[in-house]
Formats: sequence, C-alpha cells, structure tokens
Amino acid sequence: MLFWGVIVWMIVWGVAGSILIKRRYLARDLDTSNANFVGAMAGASLGPVGIAALWTKTPKSSNFLIVGLGLLTVLLVAVTFSFADPENICVTSGGFVASQFVNGLIIGIIYGFMALGLSLIFSILGVVSFAHGEFYMIGGMLVYFITAVWIPGVPPLLAVMGACAIAFVIGAVFERLMLTPMYHGKIDRPVEYGILVTFGLAFTLQYFVQALAGANPVKAQRFLSFPRWSWPEGADPVWIKTSRGSMTLFEQVSISSPRFTAAITCILVLLALLYLLHRTWTGKALRAVSQDREAAAIAGINPDRMNMLAFALGGMIAALAGALLVQAFSWLPQVGAIPAMRSFVIVVLGGLGSLPGAFVGGIMVGLVEAAGTGCVPDPQKAASYIPAYGMIVLTLTLLLRPTGMFGRRFASGAHGQF
Amino acid sequence: MRKQIPNIAGGLFLIFLLIFPLIYGRADYDYIMHILITGFFYAILAASWSMLSGYAGQFSFGHMGFMAIGAYTTGLFCHYIYISPEPTGLCWETGFFGQWLVVVNPIGVTSTTLTQDCLRQALAGWGGGVEVTSMPVPLGILLGTIMGGIAGFLIGMLVLRLRAAYLALFTLGFSEILKATISAEIDITRGQAGLELPPLYPNGVTWFGSYFEPTDKIPPYYTMLALLIVCLLILTWLARSKFGLFVRALREDQDAAAALGVNTVRYKVLVFTITCAMAAAAGAVQGHYVQIITPNMLFLLQMSLVVAMAVIGGIENFVAAAIGAILLQVALELLRNSFVIGGIEVDMTIWRLVFFGILLMVTLRFFRNGLIAPVIHYFRREGVAEETVAKRATLTGPGGGPHRAEAPD
Repeated sequence: MLFWGVIVWMIVWGVAGSILIKRRYLARDLDTSNANFVGAMAGASLGPVGIAALWTKTPKSSNFLIVGLGLLTVLLVAVTFSFADPENICVTSGGFVASQFVNGLIIGIIYGFMALGLSLIFSILGVVSFAHGEFYMIGGMLVYFITAVWIPGVPPLLAVMGACAIAFVIGAVFERLMLTPMYHGKIDRPVEYGILVTFGLAFTLQYFVQALAGANPVKAQRFLSFPRWSWPEGADPVWIKTSRGSMTLFEQVSISSPRFTAAITCILVLLALLYLLHRTWTGKALRAVSQDREAAAIAGINPDRMNMLAFALGGMIAALAGALLVQAFSWLPQVGAIPAMRSFVIVVLGGLGSLPGAFVGGIMVGLVEAAGTGCVPDPQKAASYIPAYGMIVLTLTLLLRPTGMFGRRFASGAHGQF
Repeated sequence: MRKQIPNIAGGLFLIFLLIFPLIYGRADYDYIMHILITGFFYAILAASWSMLSGYAGQFSFGHMGFMAIGAYTTGLFCHYIYISPEPTGLCWETGFFGQWLVVVNPIGVTSTTLTQDCLRQALAGWGGGVEVTSMPVPLGILLGTIMGGIAGFLIGMLVLRLRAAYLALFTLGFSEILKATISAEIDITRGQAGLELPPLYPNGVTWFGSYFEPTDKIPPYYTMLALLIVCLLILTWLARSKFGLFVRALREDQDAAAALGVNTVRYKVLVFTITCAMAAAAGAVQGHYVQIITPNMLFLLQMSLVVAMAVIGGIENFVAAAIGAILLQVALELLRNSFVIGGIEVDMTIWRLVFFGILLMVTLRFFRNGLIAPVIHYFRREGVAEETVAKRATLTGPGGGPHRAEAPD
C-alpha cells in the first residue's frame, strides 16, 4: 500500500514536472530536448520542491544534475520498496542481490552486444531491422545443428564461426536483393518499406527454420568446462571457486560457464568491432556513410557496398549472440522474439544509431530485468511480466526523451523523421 | 462499361458470400463456414489496418492489442457482472432499477475451484429459487468497441510526436505489455488458460421463421459479414470525405499538411480512434464466436498475418485489403494438406507460411500496391485519356518521379 502510494505520488509529480518545465523552457525559448526528462525526474524525486527549484533557476541544468536526479529517483523507489516489503529476499539477502546484479550485468552485456548490431544497421541504412531476433535464432540453431547433427565433435569455436559466416551471407544477400532498391529510388516509401520488408524476412526465416528443424526445443552442449580450482587457498570466504559448470565468487555469486564464456566473447568481439570502426579504412568508410551519404560517395566510398556490409555485420552480431547463448537456453524457432524486443528497447534507450548508447542501454536493461524478476514478490507473475519491464523502459524513454541517452540530433532528423 | 467491372465483380462476390451458407451442403459445412468467419474477422482487421497505415501512414504494430482490448472487455464484462433480483450478501453489489447488479469476485483461479465464486455460493444458498441474469452480449460488444476506441484515442495522443520506426516500436511495445499483463493477472483474466465467453446468441436466434442453435454457424457468419460491410462502408465514406483527403496529406508530408491548415493532431488521433474501435469490435465478435480468448491472440504471428494480408491485397486500398484477407485465409487453409514427394513428407502446415512470407516480400518489392488493388485500378483507368495515363506513369514510375524527402539520406 505504502509502495503504491509513493509510486502514484511520484507519477503525479513527475507528469506535472515534465509538463511545467517543458512549458517554462518553451516560454524562455530554450532547447527543450532535456526539459521533459529533467522535469519529470525532479518532480518524481523531490516532489513540488524539486519542480519549484528547477522553475526558479530555469536555464541552469547540467548533465550531472540530470543523471543525479535520475539516480535519486531510482534510489527512492528502491528505499520505498525495502520499507514496504521488509521480508523480501531482495532486502534481506545481500548475496542474492549481488548474484542478481552480476547475472543482470552479464546478460545485459550480451543483449547490449546484440542491440549494437541493430544500432549499426540503423545508423547506416536508416532501417530498423525487424528480423534481428531471427538472426539471433538462426545463430543458435546453426551452432546446434553443426555441433550435434551435421558434424558431431567439431570444436564449438568453429561452429560459432560457421554460424556467423552463414548469417553474414544471409544478411548480405537479403540486403542486395531487397534493401538496395530503396536507395535507387525504386521504392515509393522507403521508411515504411524497410519496416515491412524486414518484417517479412523475419516471418519467412522463422517458419523456414521451423519447417526444417521442427518445433521441439534443442540445446547445445556447453562450450567450455572450467577446471576445478579455487583461490586463494584456505581463505574464508574463498574468493573464486570453480566447478565444471559454474564459477562462484565469495561463495555467494554463482556464474554459469555458458554465460561467462558468452559475456567474455561479447566483450572481445566488441573490442574488435571498435578497432574495425575506428582504426581501419572500412570502418571509417562505414562511419562516413552514417554521417553523410553523398559526401562519402564523393570521397570515393561506395555507399551501396557499405550498406550491404553494415546489414550483414549487424545480422552477424545478432547471430553471434544467439550462437553463444544456445548453450545456456533451450532453443526454439520462436526464440528470437523476446531478444528482438529487448534490442529495440535498448537501442531506443541508448539512442537510435548510437553505438556506445546501445551498450550502456543493454547493461541498464539487463539490470532492470534482473531487479524485476528477483524482487517482485509473486515469482510466477514476475516471470510473466519479464517482457513488460523493458517495454516500460521503452515507453518512458519515448515519452520523456525520444532521442535516448546518446541520441544524435541528425539521426532523428534524417532517418527516423522525428 | 469496362469501368464498372470491379463494381460488378465486387457485387457478385458479395452476393456469393451472402447466399453461400444457404446453397452449400457438403459434409465439411461447419469447417468451411469457420474458415470464412475467420476470414471476415481478418478482413476487418486488415481493412482497418490499411486505413491506419496505408491511408494515414501511421505504421502501428499494435493492432492486435486493440483487438484484444475489445475481446477482453466484453469477456470480462460478461464473465463478472450479473443482475440478480435478490442481494447476495457475499459479492460486491449495488442497487440497479429495483434489481441488484452483482460483480463476481472469483475465489481461486484453477479450474477445480471454478464453482466457488461468490455468486455460485449465493445461488447454492438460495437453493434454486432465484434466477440471475447475465449481461446481454451486444452490450458487451458495444462496450468493447468503445473501450477500443478510447484506448486508440489515448495511444493516438501518446504517439503524436512519433513517426515511422519509433511509432512501430512503441505500438509493438504496447501490444507486448498488454500481452504480459493479460498472461500475468491470472486471478482476473485466467491467463493462458483462457477466458470463456458466452456464445454470440446465448439462447439461439430465430431468423425468418427458422430457429438456430447457439452453436450454429449461420448467425455468427452473417453477424461478422454485416460487421465487415459496415466497417467497409464507414471506411469508404471516410476516405471519400474531407477526412480521407486530410489523412492522405498527413501521410505524404505532415509538415506541409499542417502548413496548409490541416489540423494534424486532430486527424491523427481520429484515425487511431476509428480504426482501433473497428479492430476492437472485430475482436469482441470473434471472441464471442470462438467462445474462448487467450493472450496468444496477441502473438506477433497474428499481427504479421494481418500485415501480410493487407500488403498482399493492397495496402492503400482497404477494399482490396479486405478481399485479400478473405482470399488468403481460404488459400492458407487449402494449402494445409501435407503431401509426400520422393519419400520425404512435406509438412505443409509450416511450409505454407514460408511461401506466404516469400510472397509478402516479393509483393512488397515489385507490387507496391499489392496484388488485388492494381487489378481494380486497371479497370478504373479505362476511359481516362491515354496521355494522362502515360503522364502519370512517367511521374510515378521507377527512377522518374520525385522521391520523398524523408528517404534515408
């Protein structure tokens, strides 16, 4: 009761703050891109006091203030929650919180990595790929089929690379056949066409895989077994202890081997990707096309080839995420829907077309979901609501700050026609 | 004369649909009728979606969400509210024109405890002396439609600033939140187990002297067909009035439309409200027809089917979208039969959807007006001077005409 009362209070003042501060900024003829967000956060965290303070000192607001108010709001929700439900495992057990936090972080890294692919596609093609989840599904399916059915005994690393290569080819072929005509004026309404045609690809791929592989869940063997090891010897508690399938930190936080390998691989590939984008000619050409197509073409870059490369790379990144997670979850042809939704949430939260935004957003969404699944009292309800947590984040972002955390103005101007 | 061919063909198709249940007499009668009723249901959704996205350019992937709002409103209404002549003393109740309006609270959620809600307990206490009345189904459908309209209005207000991809993502998110909520709130909606609804005509119905059982297919057939025709008439009227012109202006260039004096906010919200109310009405009727609703009707597959039907029929022509939906629904059912080639069994229940997806992509790529709309246009163009046709072709043809300013770079 107390919890919901406080939440309603925060929502009311948040809405009031968002509207009032926006009006204030509009009346003063200031840049309103932050006004909604900062007003809502001030209202939610400090109530009328915060709004009044912001109102009187209107033009003053720094990024520190914005982030601080946002954190204060989250903290307030957490404190209220712990007062309202003192018996909850999230309040009583520090070890549970730590393990939820670490697992949320790991899964957030993986989803952030997957969202990166979507963001890459959007920043260069200006198309939101609705087939992203299906690339993820294909990656996992291919790894399962390569390791378990077609060539049993092949090292998992080769299988993952093979899955990535096939996804890359599918992405490249699809881009050349279906998306290239968009840029040559052959399609009447490119933005809508892009949405619908990737939607069609998702539909086709999903049922194609279902027709070939059947509808039974499959699961791959775990790629890596830890050696038995603990460090430091004889200490209490032991800092790191490993068994074959999982690793335990401080005897509290347990990380399973599939998630660990997936997160480490994602970070390594992310570093490789950053190197590609910032240190090689191809990467510079990609970024040039994302900034200005015509100028890049004048400078001797073939934008069509960059489009194809970007779509294929984006699809490959999703497939890699799937290929790494097939050892952790059981796999169905429909498995792509939820990660695809998460990627949409993450890219909008981070800012469509922003690569660091995708990664930071991924970690945030991972943490929000971990908190949502771990702390909601009724576990059955919590599990059913998993897809909704991300969507609530998405809705709030679109309402308060549609460009996302790191959104670029021009990305929303030319691409999303904001 | 040839200009009238689409009208004549449409009229004949309509007459065929009207007399079909009366002349068809084979053993699979119920099955065929079920396919056609579902086809009409999808036709309403596809037609209203093509109004929303093809005419007004608001690409919403949440159409099934509004459909579910309609279905669940009438479902919950008929499931929880009763009129009783005596106060039960157990339930939440209020006086209502000399009777008592009873809101049932379910005790327990599993099917074994279904009989334990407070009204049943009261009925058991009275020992059969009191008759309670359930709510009339048409009122539930009306309420569902209104709720769908209200939800469409609210969502329309929220998405005013969003365009293209953002709008698609937001509406998809709305639909997902709704699905999660319905699945999670088991004590109210019964979650995945599904909410049972009374049939469309709970006591049967007598039309033209013949009596139909509640399970007969003919009454829901004509109800759904009538709803489809009403929706198409409303859409046609809207498209031919000022409204249609304004929403098309909105689609082509929102800023230019606003500069020329179109109240873009009003028309955007209006088009959302109207089309969502239609989807909700279709959902409510369909819910009463199949008598059980589950959150699974919010699956993305259902939305993809509606999108594919509208696109293949012709996204900028809602009559074509509706016809496309009916034909595709029938075609999908016909393709269901599996067959064996060279010892390999081909499971057509899945492969038909693969072909469907490929057809969708090919249509999008090469026939941007769909497959049915161009046929109508072909006959409509008869009588227009040839130079005009040629001029239009060069203006809109590949590579020739002006491209939209919002083309990605």
